[in-house]
Amino acid sequence: MALVLVSLTLLTISFRSPTSGALHDLQGAGSTVLRPFQIAASRVAQPFRDAYDYFDGLATAKSENAKLRSEVEFWRSEALLNAVAARQEKAIARELHYRAGATFPNGYRAVTARVISSSASPFARTLVITAGSAEGIRNRAPVVSGDGLVGLVSNVYSQTAVVRLLTDTQSVVPAVDVQTNASGVVRQGSAGGLILDEVNKQLAVKAGNQLVTQGTIDPNYPDLYPFGIPIGRVTHAHATDTSSFLVVELQPYANLSSLQAVSVLVATKKHRK
Amino acid sequence: MSLWDGVKIAVLLFVAAVAQVSVFSQIDVFGAAPDLLLVTLVAVSLLRGSVAGACGGFFAGLVVDTGTLGTLGLTSLVLTLAGFWIGRYGETTGRDRAHAPYLSIAVVTVLYEFGLLVVHFVLGESAPAGAVFASLLPAVILNLVVTGPVYAIVRRLLRPQAPAELSAEVQLLG
Repeated sequence: MALVLVSLTLLTISFRSPTSGALHDLQGAGSTVLRPFQIAASRVAQPFRDAYDYFDGLATAKSENAKLRSEVEFWRSEALLNAVAARQEKAIARELHYRAGATFPNGYRAVTARVISSSASPFARTLVITAGSAEGIRNRAPVVSGDGLVGLVSNVYSQTAVVRLLTDTQSVVPAVDVQTNASGVVRQGSAGGLILDEVNKQLAVKAGNQLVTQGTIDPNYPDLYPFGIPIGRVTHAHATDTSSFLVVELQPYANLSSLQAVSVLVATKKHRK
Repeated sequence: MSLWDGVKIAVLLFVAAVAQVSVFSQIDVFGAAPDLLLVTLVAVSLLRGSVAGACGGFFAGLVVDTGTLGTLGLTSLVLTLAGFWIGRYGETTGRDRAHAPYLSIAVVTVLYEFGLLVVHFVLGESAPAGAVFASLLPAVILNLVVTGPVYAIVRRLLRPQAPAELSAEVQLLG
């Protein structure tokens, strides 16, 4: 009974002040003490993880190679066209004195940190990383991996920080379809996968389209994510008679279930509000 | 229960909790992951009774909440109750019954998930009942798979108590 009461007391204090207070600092200190053990456990498991990835990669290598070859051809021609368009865009922006907002990765420095633990329960999908306020990380900073958007910093301690993943039920990311310019919000759907919600039914979003963060539209309400962070690829899009919006399912670029390290984007002074 | 037993239980649960938050939580099989900590706690509770189960659950929950930087006390609360309840089951029935660890794991996995769901709901946090139900069967199966080896290791470390050492407050039924 005493232990239940102590648990309830801790729960109440922790719930009432999740980002500050003595208990928050104590938990941060405890996390720093646990960190070497967590890193050691990750290192012990690493060879097994590598072996699994190796054999898993072998099984899919042939089909993936053919798919990637066709993608390389497509992206080579796209890159050529983009280079021409980018040169034109720079000249036009200069002529019009266009003032752009924060755009990924300009205006941000990356703080790369190791993932020491993760929670992948249905209640919360979070990571704990080995960098905190001492490295300049702030609450609500965007987090990316080499492949794309991972999530957002949801709690900061001096040496560690908690990252809320894109697949968490509380995560909402304004996004835009690069091909059709359709905008909406990326969040967890009722089936558990990611969806692009609130997309107009008239827009022709198709499977294969790419989604990036939308960034700030109204300077009075700055978005947490800068424009242009790759989020994922549309896997399925269709309209139904019963739903008000287009049903768009997507696959994130970042492999959120096996992240070893991530980069937190810290805004440089120029882009800080 | 001797002091040496307490130390062994603390080390065992600490290792299981660190392995759970650092390694096992990243495994994803049909939306579920094996819960090494819960299985270890059940084994300890069956072998050492309700008091050791409750204390072990509280300690292990604190380690998990600190390791994942989650709401402090949340996992402790649910694991304390789970450890106590399984400990009572171990005390009131023959703990040497072969099916006891498997039956305990199957039942406690379901109750643990429901317990977390209720606490999250009461706190006004996200409580996706659909996702919990969907991952329940894979979670039970995965936990049952690791039960055999984990119980064997814990039993080797914590030798079963003699009948005289068992709680005198309850009547043995088995």
